[in-house]
Amino acid sequence: MAQGTPKTILLVDDNPLFLKLLNQAFTKAGFACHTAHSAQEGLLYLQAQKPDIILSDYEMPEMNGLEFRRSVLKEESLKDIPFMFLTGSDDKDIMYTGLDLQAIDYVIKDTPVDVIVAKINNLLHTVNKQRELSELEIKKTVAALNIKAVPKEAPLVNGFNIDFWHRDYQDIPGGDFIDFIEADNRYLFVILGDIMGKKWKAWFYTFTYLSYVRAAVRFSISGNDNSVATILQKINEVIYHDEGLRDILSSVSLIRIDKLTQQFTYAGAGDLPLLHYNAHRLQLNQVSSSGLLLGLMSDGNFTEQEINLAEGDQLFLFTDGLIDIAVDEGKKSDYALFAGQLTRHLHSKQTFQEFKSILEQQLATLVDDSSIICIHKTVSHA
Amino acid sequence: MLNLIKEETNHILVKVNLTEANLSHSHHFKNELIALLNFKKRSVWLDLQTVTYVDSSFLGALVAALKHAIAMKCDVVLLGLQKDIDDMLKLIRLDKVFKIYSNEQDAQNAIG
Repeated sequence: MAQGTPKTILLVDDNPLFLKLLNQAFTKAGFACHTAHSAQEGLLYLQAQKPDIILSDYEMPEMNGLEFRRSVLKEESLKDIPFMFLTGSDDKDIMYTGLDLQAIDYVIKDTPVDVIVAKINNLLHTVNKQRELSELEIKKTVAALNIKAVPKEAPLVNGFNIDFWHRDYQDIPGGDFIDFIEADNRYLFVILGDIMGKKWKAWFYTFTYLSYVRAAVRFSISGNDNSVATILQKINEVIYHDEGLRDILSSVSLIRIDKLTQQFTYAGAGDLPLLHYNAHRLQLNQVSSSGLLLGLMSDGNFTEQEINLAEGDQLFLFTDGLIDIAVDEGKKSDYALFAGQLTRHLHSKQTFQEFKSILEQQLATLVDDSSIICIHKTVSHA
Repeated sequence: MLNLIKEETNHILVKVNLTEANLSHSHHFKNELIALLNFKKRSVWLDLQTVTYVDSSFLGALVAALKHAIAMKCDVVLLGLQKDIDDMLKLIRLDKVFKIYSNEQDAQNAIG
Protein backbone atom coordinates (compact mmCIF):
# COMPACT_ATOMS: atom_id res chain seq x y z
CA MET A 1 0.00 0.00 0.00
CA ALA A 2 2.85 2.33 0.76
CA GLN A 3 4.35 2.13 -2.73
CA GLY A 4 3.40 4.38 -5.67
CA THR A 5 0.52 6.82 -5.60
CA PRO A 6 -1.39 6.50 -2.31
CA LYS A 7 -4.93 5.17 -2.53
CA THR A 8 -7.55 7.73 -1.56
CA ILE A 9 -10.37 6.96 0.84
CA LEU A 10 -13.40 9.01 1.87
CA LEU A 11 -14.32 8.33 5.50
CA VAL A 12 -17.83 9.41 6.49
CA ASP A 13 -18.95 9.28 10.12
CA ASP A 14 -20.77 11.72 12.40
CA ASN A 15 -18.71 10.54 15.39
CA PRO A 16 -15.63 12.83 15.38
CA LEU A 17 -13.62 10.60 17.67
CA PHE A 18 -14.13 7.46 15.61
CA LEU A 19 -13.49 9.43 12.43
CA LYS A 20 -10.18 10.62 13.87
CA LEU A 21 -9.28 7.06 14.80
CA LEU A 22 -10.04 5.80 11.30
CA ASN A 23 -8.14 8.71 9.78
CA GLN A 24 -5.04 7.89 11.82
CA ALA A 25 -5.20 4.17 11.06
CA PHE A 26 -5.69 4.60 7.31
CA THR A 27 -3.07 7.35 7.07
CA LYS A 28 -0.62 5.06 8.86
CA ALA A 29 -1.47 2.34 6.34
CA GLY A 30 -0.46 4.66 3.48
CA PHE A 31 -3.87 5.98 2.40
CA ALA A 32 -4.62 9.59 1.52
CA CYS A 33 -7.71 10.21 3.69
CA HIS A 34 -10.50 12.70 3.46
CA THR A 35 -12.97 12.83 6.32
CA ALA A 36 -16.57 13.99 6.26
CA HIS A 37 -18.75 14.42 9.36
CA SER A 38 -22.00 13.88 7.49
CA ALA A 39 -23.32 12.35 4.30
CA GLN A 40 -23.98 15.85 2.93
CA GLU A 41 -20.35 16.81 3.55
CA GLY A 42 -19.29 13.58 1.83
CA LEU A 43 -21.44 14.37 -1.22
CA LEU A 44 -19.95 17.85 -1.38
CA TYR A 45 -16.44 16.35 -1.43
CA LEU A 46 -17.50 13.89 -4.15
CA GLN A 47 -18.56 16.74 -6.41
CA ALA A 48 -14.90 17.63 -6.84
CA GLN A 49 -12.94 14.48 -5.99
CA LYS A 50 -13.20 10.82 -6.80
CA PRO A 51 -11.64 8.62 -4.11
CA ASP A 52 -10.64 5.01 -4.69
CA ILE A 53 -13.08 3.83 -2.01
CA ILE A 54 -15.77 5.16 0.34
CA LEU A 55 -16.20 3.91 3.90
CA SER A 56 -19.39 5.26 5.44
CA ASP A 57 -21.16 4.95 8.75
CA TYR A 58 -24.78 3.79 8.61
CA GLU A 59 -26.35 5.67 11.49
CA MET A 60 -26.04 9.40 10.90
CA PRO A 61 -28.52 12.24 11.50
CA GLU A 62 -30.39 13.86 8.57
CA MET A 63 -29.07 11.56 5.86
CA ASN A 64 -28.18 8.04 6.93
CA GLY A 65 -25.69 5.74 5.24
CA LEU A 66 -28.27 4.05 3.02
CA GLU A 67 -29.56 7.39 1.74
CA PHE A 68 -25.97 8.48 1.16
CA ARG A 69 -25.35 5.29 -0.83
CA ARG A 70 -28.48 5.89 -2.93
CA SER A 71 -27.29 9.44 -3.73
CA VAL A 72 -23.87 8.13 -4.77
CA LEU A 73 -25.46 5.47 -7.00
CA LYS A 74 -27.47 8.14 -8.82
CA GLU A 75 -24.27 9.81 -10.05
CA GLU A 76 -22.88 8.12 -13.13
CA SER A 77 -19.33 9.25 -12.34
CA LEU A 78 -19.48 8.00 -8.74
CA LYS A 79 -21.53 4.83 -8.83
CA ASP A 80 -18.59 2.55 -9.54
CA ILE A 81 -16.49 3.70 -6.60
CA PRO A 82 -16.24 0.77 -4.18
CA PHE A 83 -18.42 1.50 -1.15
CA MET A 84 -18.31 -0.15 2.26
CA PHE A 85 -20.70 0.31 5.18
CA LEU A 86 -19.60 0.77 8.71
CA THR A 87 -22.31 0.08 11.21
CA GLY A 88 -22.60 -0.02 14.95
CA SER A 89 -25.48 -2.35 14.57
CA ASP A 90 -25.60 -5.98 13.52
CA ASP A 91 -29.13 -5.54 12.26
CA LYS A 92 -29.44 -8.04 9.44
CA ASP A 93 -32.11 -6.00 7.62
CA ILE A 94 -29.82 -3.01 7.36
CA MET A 95 -27.01 -5.20 6.08
CA TYR A 96 -29.20 -6.85 3.42
CA THR A 97 -30.55 -3.46 2.29
CA GLY A 98 -26.97 -2.17 2.11
CA LEU A 99 -25.86 -5.12 0.05
CA ASP A 100 -28.86 -4.67 -2.26
CA LEU A 101 -27.54 -1.16 -2.89
CA GLN A 102 -24.34 -2.67 -4.24
CA ALA A 103 -22.36 -1.86 -1.14
CA ILE A 104 -19.50 -4.27 -1.50
CA ASP A 105 -19.41 -5.19 2.17
CA TYR A 106 -20.12 -3.97 5.66
CA VAL A 107 -18.04 -3.85 8.81
CA ILE A 108 -19.32 -3.84 12.36
CA LYS A 109 -17.98 -0.79 14.16
CA ASP A 110 -16.47 -2.68 17.08
CA THR A 111 -14.18 -4.54 14.68
CA PRO A 112 -10.55 -3.64 15.54
CA VAL A 113 -9.43 -0.75 13.35
CA ASP A 114 -6.47 -2.76 12.02
CA VAL A 115 -8.90 -5.38 10.77
CA ILE A 116 -11.03 -2.70 9.06
CA VAL A 117 -7.89 -1.41 7.31
CA ALA A 118 -6.92 -4.94 6.27
CA LYS A 119 -10.44 -5.58 4.95
CA ILE A 120 -10.37 -2.39 2.86
CA ASN A 121 -6.91 -3.26 1.54
CA ASN A 122 -8.09 -6.72 0.51
CA LEU A 123 -11.16 -5.27 -1.14
CA LEU A 124 -9.15 -2.73 -3.13
CA HIS A 125 -6.68 -5.42 -4.12
CA THR A 126 -9.54 -7.57 -5.49
CA VAL A 127 -11.14 -4.62 -7.30
CA ASN A 128 -7.80 -3.67 -8.88
CA LYS A 129 -7.09 -7.24 -9.86
CA GLN A 130 -10.47 -7.45 -11.57
CA ARG A 131 -9.84 -4.16 -13.34
CA GLU A 132 -6.43 -5.35 -14.53
CA LEU A 133 -7.96 -8.56 -15.84
CA SER A 134 -10.63 -6.61 -17.75
CA GLU A 135 -7.99 -4.36 -19.28
CA LEU A 136 -5.87 -7.35 -20.14
CA GLU A 137 -8.84 -8.86 -21.97
CA ILE A 138 -9.31 -5.67 -24.01
CA LYS A 139 -5.59 -5.49 -24.75
CA LYS A 140 -5.61 -9.09 -25.96
CA THR A 141 -8.58 -8.35 -28.23
CA VAL A 142 -6.87 -5.23 -29.62
CA ALA A 143 -3.67 -7.21 -30.26
CA ALA A 144 -5.69 -9.92 -32.04
CA LEU A 145 -7.38 -7.32 -34.25
CA ASN A 146 -3.93 -5.94 -35.14
CA ILE A 147 -5.12 -2.34 -35.42
CA LYS A 148 -2.69 0.40 -34.55
CA ALA A 149 -2.90 4.17 -34.32
CA VAL A 150 0.88 4.48 -34.50
CA PRO A 151 3.03 2.88 -37.23
CA LYS A 152 5.86 0.50 -36.49
CA GLU A 153 8.51 2.69 -38.08
CA ALA A 154 9.06 5.95 -39.91
CA PRO A 155 9.61 6.02 -43.68
CA LEU A 156 13.01 6.49 -45.28
CA VAL A 157 13.30 9.74 -47.22
CA ASN A 158 16.38 10.88 -49.10
CA GLY A 159 18.06 13.79 -47.34
CA PHE A 160 16.15 13.36 -44.06
CA ASN A 161 16.11 11.26 -40.96
CA ILE A 162 12.55 10.84 -39.75
CA ASP A 163 11.99 9.24 -36.38
CA PHE A 164 9.36 9.30 -33.67
CA TRP A 165 8.66 8.28 -30.09
CA HIS A 166 5.30 7.38 -28.63
CA ARG A 167 4.17 6.04 -25.26
CA ASP A 168 0.69 5.24 -24.02
CA TYR A 169 -0.23 6.56 -20.61
CA GLN A 170 -0.35 3.76 -18.03
CA ASP A 171 0.11 1.29 -20.88
CA ILE A 172 -3.46 1.88 -22.12
CA PRO A 173 -3.87 3.15 -25.69
CA GLY A 174 -5.13 6.72 -25.82
CA GLY A 175 -5.93 9.46 -28.31
CA ASP A 176 -2.57 10.09 -29.99
CA PHE A 177 -2.16 8.98 -33.59
CA ILE A 178 0.69 9.10 -36.05
CA ASP A 179 0.75 8.32 -39.74
CA PHE A 180 3.08 8.69 -42.70
CA ILE A 181 1.28 8.62 -46.05
CA GLU A 182 3.32 8.14 -49.20
CA ALA A 183 0.70 9.70 -51.44
CA ASP A 184 2.72 9.21 -54.61
CA ASN A 185 6.35 9.20 -55.68
CA ARG A 186 6.68 12.86 -54.87
CA TYR A 187 4.77 13.68 -51.71
CA LEU A 188 4.97 12.30 -48.21
CA PHE A 189 2.42 13.45 -45.64
CA VAL A 190 3.38 13.41 -41.97
CA ILE A 191 0.46 13.36 -39.54
CA LEU A 192 0.39 13.74 -35.78
CA GLY A 193 -2.98 13.91 -34.07
CA ASP A 194 -4.40 13.86 -30.57
CA ILE A 195 -8.05 13.16 -29.79
CA MET A 196 -9.15 15.19 -26.77
CA GLY A 197 -9.77 12.71 -24.01
CA LYS A 198 -7.99 9.73 -22.62
CA LYS A 199 -7.64 5.99 -22.66
CA TRP A 200 -9.90 3.59 -24.56
CA LYS A 201 -12.62 6.03 -25.58
CA ALA A 202 -10.11 8.40 -27.19
CA TRP A 203 -8.25 5.47 -28.72
CA PHE A 204 -11.43 4.15 -30.32
CA TYR A 205 -11.96 7.43 -32.18
CA THR A 206 -8.38 7.63 -33.48
CA PHE A 207 -9.34 5.17 -36.22
CA THR A 208 -12.29 7.24 -37.42
CA TYR A 209 -10.06 10.31 -37.53
CA LEU A 210 -7.24 8.43 -39.24
CA SER A 211 -9.67 7.12 -41.86
CA TYR A 212 -10.87 10.64 -42.61
CA VAL A 213 -7.31 12.01 -42.78
CA ARG A 214 -6.13 9.21 -45.06
CA ALA A 215 -9.14 9.56 -47.35
CA ALA A 216 -8.78 13.36 -47.54
CA VAL A 217 -5.09 13.11 -48.42
CA ARG A 218 -5.74 10.50 -51.14
CA PHE A 219 -8.66 12.44 -52.63
CA SER A 220 -6.66 15.65 -52.61
CA ILE A 221 -3.75 14.09 -54.44
CA SER A 222 -6.01 12.44 -57.01
CA GLY A 223 -7.78 15.78 -57.47
CA ASN A 224 -4.44 17.59 -57.96
CA ASP A 225 -5.04 19.80 -54.93
CA ASN A 226 -2.49 18.85 -52.30
CA SER A 227 -2.78 21.98 -50.19
CA VAL A 228 -2.51 20.90 -46.54
CA ALA A 229 -4.85 23.70 -45.42
CA THR A 230 -7.48 22.49 -47.90
CA ILE A 231 -7.03 18.91 -46.70
CA LEU A 232 -7.62 19.98 -43.09
CA GLN A 233 -10.68 22.02 -44.03
CA LYS A 234 -12.16 19.04 -45.91
CA ILE A 235 -11.60 16.76 -42.91
CA ASN A 236 -13.02 19.44 -40.63
CA GLU A 237 -16.21 19.78 -42.67
CA VAL A 238 -16.85 16.06 -42.57
CA ILE A 239 -16.13 15.77 -38.86
CA TYR A 240 -18.13 18.88 -37.97
CA HIS A 241 -21.22 17.37 -39.57
CA ASP A 242 -20.64 13.80 -38.38
CA GLU A 243 -23.19 13.08 -35.65
CA GLY A 244 -21.10 10.12 -34.51
CA LEU A 245 -18.23 12.47 -33.71
CA ARG A 246 -20.23 15.10 -31.88
CA ASP A 247 -18.04 16.47 -29.08
CA ILE A 248 -15.05 14.39 -30.18
CA LEU A 249 -12.41 16.93 -31.12
CA SER A 250 -8.86 16.42 -32.27
CA SER A 251 -5.72 18.37 -32.89
CA VAL A 252 -3.70 17.56 -36.00
CA SER A 253 -0.35 18.70 -37.33
CA LEU A 254 -0.09 17.99 -41.04
CA ILE A 255 3.11 18.35 -43.04
CA ARG A 256 3.60 17.70 -46.72
CA ILE A 257 7.16 16.90 -47.72
CA ASP A 258 7.98 17.38 -51.38
CA LYS A 259 10.69 14.79 -51.89
CA LEU A 260 11.69 16.37 -55.18
CA THR A 261 12.34 19.90 -53.88
CA GLN A 262 12.69 18.99 -50.16
CA GLN A 263 10.13 21.70 -49.36
CA PHE A 264 7.85 21.42 -46.35
CA THR A 265 4.32 22.79 -46.15
CA TYR A 266 2.56 22.81 -42.80
CA ALA A 267 -0.96 23.38 -41.52
CA GLY A 268 -2.22 22.73 -38.02
CA ALA A 269 -5.56 22.23 -36.32
CA GLY A 270 -5.50 23.19 -32.63
CA ASP A 271 -2.04 21.66 -32.36
CA LEU A 272 0.84 22.81 -30.22
CA PRO A 273 3.32 25.03 -32.10
CA LEU A 274 6.03 22.96 -33.75
CA LEU A 275 9.64 23.56 -32.79
CA HIS A 276 12.21 24.25 -35.50
CA TYR A 277 15.85 23.94 -34.54
CA ASN A 278 18.05 26.19 -36.63
CA ALA A 279 21.41 24.40 -36.55
CA HIS A 280 23.32 27.40 -37.87
CA ARG A 281 22.00 29.86 -35.28
CA LEU A 282 21.64 27.24 -32.56
CA GLN A 283 18.09 28.45 -31.97
CA LEU A 284 14.83 26.64 -31.32
CA ASN A 285 11.92 28.60 -32.79
CA GLN A 286 8.18 28.09 -32.54
CA VAL A 287 6.22 27.48 -35.73
CA SER A 288 2.60 28.34 -35.03
CA SER A 289 -0.44 27.62 -37.13
CA SER A 290 -3.83 29.29 -37.17
CA GLY A 291 -6.27 26.40 -37.39
CA LEU A 292 -8.80 25.41 -34.76
CA LEU A 293 -9.35 21.93 -33.39
CA LEU A 294 -10.99 19.64 -35.95
CA GLY A 295 -14.75 19.54 -35.50
CA LEU A 296 -14.94 22.71 -33.43
CA MET A 297 -16.32 25.20 -35.98
CA SER A 298 -17.56 24.74 -39.53
CA ASP A 299 -14.72 26.97 -40.72
CA GLY A 300 -11.51 25.91 -39.02
CA ASN A 301 -9.51 28.94 -40.23
CA PHE A 302 -6.77 26.74 -41.64
CA THR A 303 -3.81 28.35 -43.35
CA GLU A 304 -0.57 26.83 -44.54
CA GLN A 305 3.03 27.91 -44.51
CA GLU A 306 6.34 26.83 -45.94
CA ILE A 307 8.99 25.66 -43.52
CA ASN A 308 12.51 25.89 -44.83
CA LEU A 309 14.89 23.43 -43.24
CA ALA A 310 18.59 23.98 -43.88
CA GLU A 311 21.14 21.19 -43.56
CA GLY A 312 21.34 20.09 -39.92
CA ASP A 313 18.00 21.68 -38.99
CA GLN A 314 15.43 19.63 -37.11
CA LEU A 315 11.68 19.97 -36.88
CA PHE A 316 9.70 18.60 -33.93
CA LEU A 317 5.97 17.87 -33.83
CA PHE A 318 4.60 16.74 -30.47
CA THR A 319 1.41 16.23 -28.47
CA ASP A 320 0.40 17.81 -25.17
CA GLY A 321 1.39 14.71 -23.20
CA LEU A 322 4.96 15.98 -23.36
CA ILE A 323 4.15 19.34 -21.81
CA ASP A 324 1.79 18.01 -19.12
CA ILE A 325 3.83 16.83 -16.19
CA ALA A 326 3.40 15.74 -12.59
CA VAL A 327 5.02 18.11 -10.10
CA ASP A 328 5.04 18.22 -6.31
CA GLU A 329 1.97 20.49 -6.21
CA GLY A 330 -0.02 18.33 -8.64
CA LYS A 331 0.06 18.62 -12.41
CA LYS A 332 0.92 21.42 -14.78
CA SER A 333 1.15 22.24 -18.48
CA ASP A 334 4.43 23.90 -19.40
CA TYR A 335 5.33 24.24 -23.08
CA ALA A 336 8.35 26.45 -22.30
CA LEU A 337 9.75 23.86 -19.91
CA PHE A 338 9.67 21.19 -22.61
CA ALA A 339 11.15 23.57 -25.20
CA GLY A 340 13.94 24.36 -22.72
CA GLN A 341 14.68 20.69 -22.20
CA LEU A 342 14.81 20.14 -25.95
CA THR A 343 17.08 23.15 -26.42
CA ARG A 344 19.57 21.85 -23.86
CA HIS A 345 19.55 18.48 -25.54
CA LEU A 346 20.18 20.01 -28.96
CA HIS A 347 22.92 22.30 -27.68
CA SER A 348 24.72 19.31 -26.24
CA LYS A 349 24.70 17.78 -29.76
CA GLN A 350 22.77 14.74 -28.65
CA THR A 351 20.84 12.71 -31.18
CA PHE A 352 17.08 12.17 -31.22
CA GLN A 353 17.81 8.57 -30.28
CA GLU A 354 19.43 9.86 -27.08
CA PHE A 355 16.51 12.21 -26.47
CA LYS A 356 14.16 9.25 -26.72
CA SER A 357 16.19 7.52 -24.00
CA ILE A 358 15.78 10.60 -21.80
CA LEU A 359 12.02 10.54 -22.39
CA GLU A 360 11.93 6.87 -21.45
CA GLN A 361 13.55 7.77 -18.14
CA GLN A 362 10.89 10.41 -17.50
CA LEU A 363 7.90 8.10 -17.98
CA ALA A 364 6.97 8.37 -14.30
CA THR A 365 6.31 12.12 -14.64
CA LEU A 366 4.06 11.81 -17.71
CA VAL A 367 0.32 12.18 -17.17
CA ASP A 368 -0.98 11.53 -20.69
CA ASP A 369 -0.14 9.76 -23.95
CA SER A 370 2.95 11.34 -25.39
CA SER A 371 4.20 11.49 -28.95
CA ILE A 372 6.96 13.35 -30.76
CA ILE A 373 8.12 13.22 -34.36
CA CYS A 374 11.57 14.49 -35.34
CA ILE A 375 12.44 15.38 -38.93
CA HIS A 376 16.17 16.01 -39.29
CA LYS A 377 17.51 17.40 -42.54
CA THR A 378 20.79 15.66 -43.12
CA VAL A 379 21.67 16.64 -46.68
CA SER A 380 20.94 19.84 -48.59
CA HIS A 381 18.97 19.71 -51.77
CA ALA A 382 21.33 19.64 -54.77
CA MET B 1 -18.56 20.88 -8.86
CA LEU B 2 -20.48 23.90 -10.22
CA ASN B 3 -21.75 26.55 -7.83
CA LEU B 4 -24.25 29.08 -9.08
CA ILE B 5 -23.03 32.41 -7.68
CA LYS B 6 -25.48 34.84 -9.25
CA GLU B 7 -27.99 35.30 -11.98
CA GLU B 8 -28.07 38.32 -14.27
CA THR B 9 -30.44 39.09 -17.10
CA ASN B 10 -28.18 37.80 -19.84
CA HIS B 11 -25.89 35.43 -18.02
CA ILE B 12 -25.26 33.42 -14.89
CA LEU B 13 -22.01 33.37 -12.94
CA VAL B 14 -20.87 29.91 -11.95
CA LYS B 15 -17.86 28.93 -9.87
CA VAL B 16 -16.00 25.74 -10.75
CA ASN B 17 -14.96 24.06 -7.50
CA LEU B 18 -11.98 22.08 -8.71
CA THR B 19 -8.23 22.35 -8.49
CA GLU B 20 -7.22 19.65 -10.93
CA ALA B 21 -9.82 19.35 -13.70
CA ASN B 22 -9.33 16.02 -15.42
CA LEU B 23 -10.90 12.94 -16.96
CA SER B 24 -12.63 11.96 -13.73
CA HIS B 25 -14.63 15.21 -13.78
CA SER B 26 -15.03 15.95 -17.47
CA HIS B 27 -18.16 13.90 -18.20
CA HIS B 28 -20.00 15.09 -15.12
CA PHE B 29 -18.86 18.68 -15.69
CA LYS B 30 -20.06 18.70 -19.29
CA ASN B 31 -23.47 17.28 -18.38
CA GLU B 32 -23.91 19.73 -15.52
CA LEU B 33 -22.90 22.72 -17.64
CA ILE B 34 -25.15 21.74 -20.53
CA ALA B 35 -28.04 21.15 -18.11
CA LEU B 36 -27.46 24.66 -16.69
CA LEU B 37 -27.45 26.19 -20.18
CA ASN B 38 -30.67 24.38 -21.07
CA PHE B 39 -32.37 25.31 -17.82
CA LYS B 40 -31.30 28.94 -17.55
CA LYS B 41 -31.23 29.64 -21.30
CA ARG B 42 -28.52 32.21 -20.71
CA SER B 43 -24.77 32.46 -21.22
CA VAL B 44 -22.61 30.95 -18.50
CA TRP B 45 -19.63 32.82 -17.09
CA LEU B 46 -17.34 30.24 -15.54
CA ASP B 47 -15.10 31.33 -12.70
CA LEU B 48 -12.08 29.02 -12.93
CA GLN B 49 -9.72 30.78 -10.54
CA THR B 50 -9.19 27.78 -8.25
CA VAL B 51 -8.35 25.46 -11.16
CA THR B 52 -4.62 24.90 -11.48
CA TYR B 53 -4.58 22.25 -14.20
CA VAL B 54 -6.91 21.12 -16.98
CA ASP B 55 -6.29 18.01 -19.02
CA SER B 56 -7.41 17.48 -22.60
CA SER B 57 -10.55 15.58 -21.50
CA PHE B 58 -11.71 18.56 -19.50
CA LEU B 59 -10.84 20.99 -22.31
CA GLY B 60 -12.92 18.75 -24.57
CA ALA B 61 -15.84 19.04 -22.14
CA LEU B 62 -15.51 22.84 -22.07
CA VAL B 63 -15.47 23.00 -25.85
CA ALA B 64 -18.45 20.62 -26.14
CA ALA B 65 -20.41 22.90 -23.78
CA LEU B 66 -19.39 25.94 -25.82
CA LYS B 67 -20.65 24.28 -29.01
CA HIS B 68 -23.92 23.55 -27.26
CA ALA B 69 -24.16 27.17 -26.05
CA ILE B 70 -23.45 28.58 -29.50
CA ALA B 71 -26.17 26.36 -30.99
CA MET B 72 -28.65 27.95 -28.56
CA LYS B 73 -27.23 31.43 -29.26
CA CYS B 74 -25.59 31.69 -25.86
CA ASP B 75 -21.96 31.64 -24.79
CA VAL B 76 -19.53 30.13 -22.30
CA VAL B 77 -17.18 32.79 -20.94
CA LEU B 78 -14.04 31.92 -18.98
CA LEU B 79 -12.94 34.02 -16.01
CA GLY B 80 -9.89 33.98 -13.74
CA LEU B 81 -7.74 31.52 -15.66
CA GLN B 82 -4.40 30.77 -14.07
CA LYS B 83 -1.41 31.63 -16.24
CA ASP B 84 -0.47 28.06 -17.24
CA ILE B 85 -4.03 27.36 -18.39
CA ASP B 86 -4.34 30.71 -20.16
CA ASP B 87 -1.06 30.02 -21.97
CA MET B 88 -2.23 26.55 -22.95
CA LEU B 89 -5.50 27.86 -24.42
CA LYS B 90 -3.58 30.44 -26.44
CA LEU B 91 -1.12 27.83 -27.73
CA ILE B 92 -3.95 25.76 -29.20
CA ARG B 93 -5.99 28.79 -30.32
CA LEU B 94 -8.91 28.22 -27.98
CA ASP B 95 -8.62 31.91 -27.10
CA LYS B 96 -10.11 32.51 -30.57
CA VAL B 97 -13.34 30.74 -29.66
CA PHE B 98 -13.74 31.44 -25.93
CA LYS B 99 -14.18 34.91 -24.51
CA ILE B 100 -11.61 35.05 -21.72
CA TYR B 101 -11.39 37.71 -18.99
CA SER B 102 -9.35 38.02 -15.84
CA ASN B 103 -12.40 38.62 -13.66
CA GLU B 104 -16.10 39.33 -13.63
CA GLN B 105 -15.61 43.10 -13.67
CA ASP B 106 -13.48 42.94 -16.82
CA ALA B 107 -16.09 40.76 -18.46
CA GLN B 108 -18.84 43.19 -17.41
CA ASN B 109 -16.90 46.08 -18.93
CA ALA B 110 -16.33 44.22 -22.16
CA ILE B 111 -19.55 42.34 -22.79
CA GLY B 112 -21.81 42.82 -19.78
